[in-house]
Amino acid sequence: MAARLLRRGLLRAPRPLPSSSPVTSQSSLLFSLSDHSREPSTSANSPPFSRPNLSCNSICCRRLSSLSEESHGPAAIDYRSTLQEDEYHRLANSTIHDLLEKLEEFGDSVEIDGFDVDYGNEVLTLKLGSLGTYVINKQTPNRQIWMSSPVSGPSRFDWDQNAQAWIYRRTKANLIQVLETELEKLCGQPISLS
Amino acid sequence: MLRHLANTAVGRRLRSSAAAGGAGLRRMYHERVVDHYNNPRNVGSFDKNDPSVGTGLVGAPACGDVMKLQIKVDEESGKIVDACFKTFGCGSAIASSSVATEWVKGKQMEEVLSIKNTEIAKHLSLPPVKLHCSMLAEDAIKAAVKDYEAKRSKSNSSQEAPVEKAADA
Repeated sequence: MAARLLRRGLLRAPRPLPSSSPVTSQSSLLFSLSDHSREPSTSANSPPFSRPNLSCNSICCRRLSSLSEESHGPAAIDYRSTLQEDEYHRLANSTIHDLLEKLEEFGDSVEIDGFDVDYGNEVLTLKLGSLGTYVINKQTPNRQIWMSSPVSGPSRFDWDQNAQAWIYRRTKANLIQVLETELEKLCGQPISLS
Repeated sequence: MLRHLANTAVGRRLRSSAAAGGAGLRRMYHERVVDHYNNPRNVGSFDKNDPSVGTGLVGAPACGDVMKLQIKVDEESGKIVDACFKTFGCGSAIASSSVATEWVKGKQMEEVLSIKNTEIAKHLSLPPVKLHCSMLAEDAIKAAVKDYEAKRSKSNSSQEAPVEKAADA
């Protein structure tokens, strides 16, 4: 069954994938790894890895990619409250625009060769010359913000209603705090991004 | 099927970037990625109902990346004797999962859990925006091992029932 799904997915591939268009990405075929999609899980009672079903559920998409992350330690975040798409866009856009402004200011005050902040197609690229490059973008199907850091590699942040912040479930890290810490270490100058 | 798909969308992109490389612009895909794309290792499928096979399925088409990584484990030694993959995604995702199948072959199950996405990314010289592909490959390995262990524990617990039936007869 998984092979059939994969083949169907493969057949669809030649069509260019919408990067963040809301309606079409939701209607495309999604895998569901878990039978019980709404159950919050901790490491103590995480559901056993079951065979993928054919149910097309946009919520399950988020569960799917984070299933393996949940198994890496206790997931104390209750994500029973799933984020609606327009709410997600509002939150993610405001976070990223906020970061963009503060990073631009930071660039003016700090002396880094090759410093560049660029925002295009909803992707924020922060170049720090030889220190590396950060890429921060929205991953709409998962309701996540993805970050690629030269220090900590790739991470995927979900919106936590309780903490009112973007949290990486695997490490409990907070997006803003991670960036502040890493940038201070890299550039030798503290920065406030909140 | 994978090659046909690859020849259409990804192939065009790769060829155009290779041509751009010839014209003096920076090559976008590292040669190792191109190598895995042109000479994919271990593409294929095992029977997922085989008790010695663990299947890891990660990602989602809507996100642009799906990886299915399967391992065949020798029950007695706990060693991975064979691995195969099928990936729907960009060249970096295909290369990451291809590298993953190469690296898990011949290793113990516990050992492959320590394969990090940073190692895969370094091996393929993935650019920052493609680091997520390597993480997905790491997740696929972990999912395959987890699936195999779940299958094994399920079959172990069901082994007690037949013995009881024999005793009753």
